[in-house]
Amino acid sequence: MDRSRIRERCIRTTKQRIRESVKDDNLVIQAVSSIEEVTKAANILIRRLREWYELYLPEFSRKVKDNQRFSQLILEKDKKALMKEHKFRDTMGADLPKQDVDAMLALAAGAQRLYELKKSQEDYLEKLMKRTAPNVHAITGTLIGAKLIAIAGSLKELSLFPASTVQLLGAEKALFRHMRTGAKSPKYGILHEHPLVSQSRDKGKVARMLADKISIASKVDYFKGDYVGDKLRKELVQRFGEW
Amino acid sequence: MKSTRFPGIYEKKGRRRSLFTINLVPGRSVYGERLVRESVDLGHKASKGVTEFREWDASKSKLAAAILKGANQVGLKEGHTVLYLGCSTGTTVSHVSDIVGRGGFVFALDFAPRVMREMVFLAQERPNIAPLLADAKKPEEYEDIVKEKVDWLFQDIAQRNQPEIFLKNVAKFLKKGAYCVAAIKARSIDVSKKPGLIFRSVQKKLEEDLTLVDKRELSPFQRDHMLFVFKKR
Repeated sequence: MDRSRIRERCIRTTKQRIRESVKDDNLVIQAVSSIEEVTKAANILIRRLREWYELYLPEFSRKVKDNQRFSQLILEKDKKALMKEHKFRDTMGADLPKQDVDAMLALAAGAQRLYELKKSQEDYLEKLMKRTAPNVHAITGTLIGAKLIAIAGSLKELSLFPASTVQLLGAEKALFRHMRTGAKSPKYGILHEHPLVSQSRDKGKVARMLADKISIASKVDYFKGDYVGDKLRKELVQRFGEW
Repeated sequence: MKSTRFPGIYEKKGRRRSLFTINLVPGRSVYGERLVRESVDLGHKASKGVTEFREWDASKSKLAAAILKGANQVGLKEGHTVLYLGCSTGTTVSHVSDIVGRGGFVFALDFAPRVMREMVFLAQERPNIAPLLADAKKPEEYEDIVKEKVDWLFQDIAQRNQPEIFLKNVAKFLKKGAYCVAAIKARSIDVSKKPGLIFRSVQKKLEEDLTLVDKRELSPFQRDHMLFVFKKR
């Protein structure tokens, strides 16, 4: 076969394989990365918004710590109403004409749209996770499960990991530091975000058992076994309590 | 622009030395590299007038880094058929494609669909590249496509058992007496061992079957990397 024919055949089959390589886990990875980035973007905007709004009514920015609520409330109510509602007798903020206030409220509106976007993507990801990895989803919830798949690279990779690797996913930096220099070994990576781990006093122990269950769950998910998520979850609840 | 002792590779000395290859597809920059048009007499090439060169960024290409670090020989020239394992998005492959020219041919292999996407775009622009989405660990999977023995084999695959994979492919696809090049990343073989130790053991293993021609450590372009050039006995 001459080379141009070989080349054309290679291009054709490679294109086809690339097309077929797109699986649900690719969607999970993109969605969870997008959620992380939208969250970061929203935080950046709100940091600027607070700085800006504090020229106008700093007391209110101090009072409402939650970012999303802060930007929502300043959109809903004007300075006078907010001062009255929160019983501020006076303010360090300047009196600004409407056009200057509108400019900062436009930023608040932009941030709100990001929060809506985040919400809709989270709803989408939840459905996607329930479909792709129902067992993992049952014990980790949407975000942690998706992040585990993202760090592992695919559901297949995750399912092939031993529990000890799952336990440390997201702690690569600390793990390699430990291996290179003999520093203390990490006990958990991304699993630290799980309420069972973060609220426990013996986090290492909980992370270990949680990783065991995730390891089992991911294997069942990848090899398409029967749903055992509730059973795995129950075992965790019996040991460590509800979350 | 001056030629170097490596066929098809040119250099320009300014504040820094930089490498160039002749652009096979004039006007197209592959990864944002600089294009330089210059009229030079290339001797053996029957080219008159202006030639377009592509700058070869050594911080993005281990082969270019080894050449800048003074490698004596890499064994690649015009007209060669090449098997390139671990082509990624095709940064280095594009220059290899420039060097071998229209009379040469490059099989560019990688097993990650994400990077192969870029590679396909590159292959569509260049008549001498055939992309292969396959696993270098399993030469059986592409032996019925790479049917001819190749003149040059390059491997850059950051795998733990990359020396074994290299030998397997060399044995199967490389002509006798031809050159093969392996970029070894110490950190992906064993993070806990000293790179020097790893390079020595890799070299020992590869020298059982091959003759060492050159080796270059790639700092400051790459960290803990060594590029080995071998000749098949």
